Amino acid sequence: MYKTDIRGKLIDGEKTLSQISQEILAPIDAKVPKWWYISMGISLVMLALGVKSVYITLTQGIGTWGVNSTVAWGWEIINFVWWIGIGHAGTAFSIFLLILRQKWRTAINRAAEAMTVVAVFCAALFPLMHMGRPWLFFFIFPYPNTRGPLWVNFNSPLFWDFMAISAYLLISASFWYFGMVPDFATIRDTTKSKIKKAVYGFFAFGWVGSSREWLRYEGLAFVLGGIAAVLVVSVHSIVSTDFAVSVEPGWHTTLFPPYFVVGAIFSGFAMVLTLVTLMKKLYNMGDFITENHVDAVCRILVFISLIMGTAYITEIFIAWYSGSEYEMYTFFKNRITGDYAMQFWGMFIFNALLPQLFWSRKVRRNLWVVFVISLFINLGMWFERFNIVVTSLSKNYLPASWAEYHPTWIEIGFFIGTLGMFSAGVLLFFRYIPQIAIAEVKMISKYNTQQSDHLKPGHHDYE
Amino acid sequence: MITLNLATMITNKKYLIGVFDNEHTLVDAFEKALEKGVVIEEVYTPYPIHEILHGMKNKTNITTAAFFYGLFGVTAIIGGMYYAAVIDWPLLFGGKPFNTFPSFIVVSIVTTILTITILTLFTFSVRAKIYPGKQADIIDIRATDDKFIILLDQDKMGIKIPEVTQLFQSHGASEVYQKEATSN
Repeated sequence: MYKTDIRGKLIDGEKTLSQISQEILAPIDAKVPKWWYISMGISLVMLALGVKSVYITLTQGIGTWGVNSTVAWGWEIINFVWWIGIGHAGTAFSIFLLILRQKWRTAINRAAEAMTVVAVFCAALFPLMHMGRPWLFFFIFPYPNTRGPLWVNFNSPLFWDFMAISAYLLISASFWYFGMVPDFATIRDTTKSKIKKAVYGFFAFGWVGSSREWLRYEGLAFVLGGIAAVLVVSVHSIVSTDFAVSVEPGWHTTLFPPYFVVGAIFSGFAMVLTLVTLMKKLYNMGDFITENHVDAVCRILVFISLIMGTAYITEIFIAWYSGSEYEMYTFFKNRITGDYAMQFWGMFIFNALLPQLFWSRKVRRNLWVVFVISLFINLGMWFERFNIVVTSLSKNYLPASWAEYHPTWIEIGFFIGTLGMFSAGVLLFFRYIPQIAIAEVKMISKYNTQQSDHLKPGHHDYE
Repeated sequence: MITLNLATMITNKKYLIGVFDNEHTLVDAFEKALEKGVVIEEVYTPYPIHEILHGMKNKTNITTAAFFYGLFGVTAIIGGMYYAAVIDWPLLFGGKPFNTFPSFIVVSIVTTILTITILTLFTFSVRAKIYPGKQADIIDIRATDDKFIILLDQDKMGIKIPEVTQLFQSHGASEVYQKEATSN
């Protein structure tokens, strides 16, 4: 049983079930605000730049990028890992908080899952384009073919990555979608517009809320939730093995899988925080996403930030303690000091030090400060990936092959394009999809009213 | 499954519908009705209520099905990789064995999850009859918003209409009404 007097209210104000539907659905029925069109316009311009960059890459090849034979992985892999990391929070929110019976997840999980789907889609574009000839991407599939027959390398983390991302995209999209089906039915049954009734009716899959449907729905959520929890951990562990199985200094470490998984959840939670502060302010969802919700995410962030700090320091310590001169060089001459020191300190300050401000209740309750810190964490996590990818590659074992890396405008344009795609996706989500899981919020609304205290002892509370 | 069809009155089934405003009164009336031996056709709610799901005595084997899908997935992927790496196209690299099993584990987990997801979604869609564009058979349109509905088939409910109306009303039903609809 959720104790409102201890944990704070999950919903502000005494709302009837009908009010919950109406308030969450208000943005779908309301007139589209001006700022939405302006933001969408900016997003589309950014997306157009991305399309142009991709077009040039496709027609002229990846020679148009700044990568060279020493730093063969540049912004594309950095951005890939960054987006995948952000995409982790949706499933982490839904699954881990579901398993831990955290009821406050209900106000935030929909936005987090939506963000996941868009972010994973953005992420998948980078390795695809990095192949050079993306139209031959089907070579990754393990199928009997005319090339030998030559099988894919089942021992390669790059192949694992392909399978992991496919599974992750499918499972997070279906978890998100099936979570929305009852809400689409609510729109179908409450809207006055015939067009909306037809469109949302189509997407509601004939949902009527019968006990048979709910039973199977819960069964499905249980299965998908259970396996997705394993998937969240395995996907980013696999991404980390892309690095860790190589013998580059700074990469060849067993710390990488947990370090990557935690880092991914960290950046994803920060992005969730960015989104929910926007929803709270722009769409007046403050009654559902209360100060307690923001507070809870901040507390998680301060905890994960400590793990991140520990991981950074462990890497540095082991570089010294191992006695490997290459590791020493990478960490002490090429990260903490040297050409890329700014990126290292950006990472360390934004990820390990800045979130420590969340120890203060005052900071956690100040939405603007929370918003700004969440943006800095995302920037810091981008620096982390830059730090890993570029510093290790640019100065490896052989000084004769040392090279610097600078991205070309095409690489930058590609990244800006995915940022535009992400923000356009999020704006469409704000506009056309219930931002908060209506059915789930209704389910927890009983913890807000006196009625819940009167449930008979014989009534089991399975929540 | 029930479809509303007022034109074909002859084949229509007669239903009695109890409408409740909240979970508490619904569960109360539901349990009392079960105690009295009333046969409940279906309950429609805006969110899942576990007392109802247990009381309706429907069972789902979706988790068992998922387990077997997983078993199938893991056998297929490990078998497939063994076939490719050992039987079909063995490659010698660094004197390592053809069957590099431990390094198959990670991809087996991920691919098994992919198999479970696809097959379980398909099973859910078939068994719960939830698929794109399906026409909803709505009994009371408010059930997806703020009302809790108990549906009784008048021929099978095993109690007389005034009695059940009285039962529902005494346990907080906001409305009790009759409706005719076809059943298929």
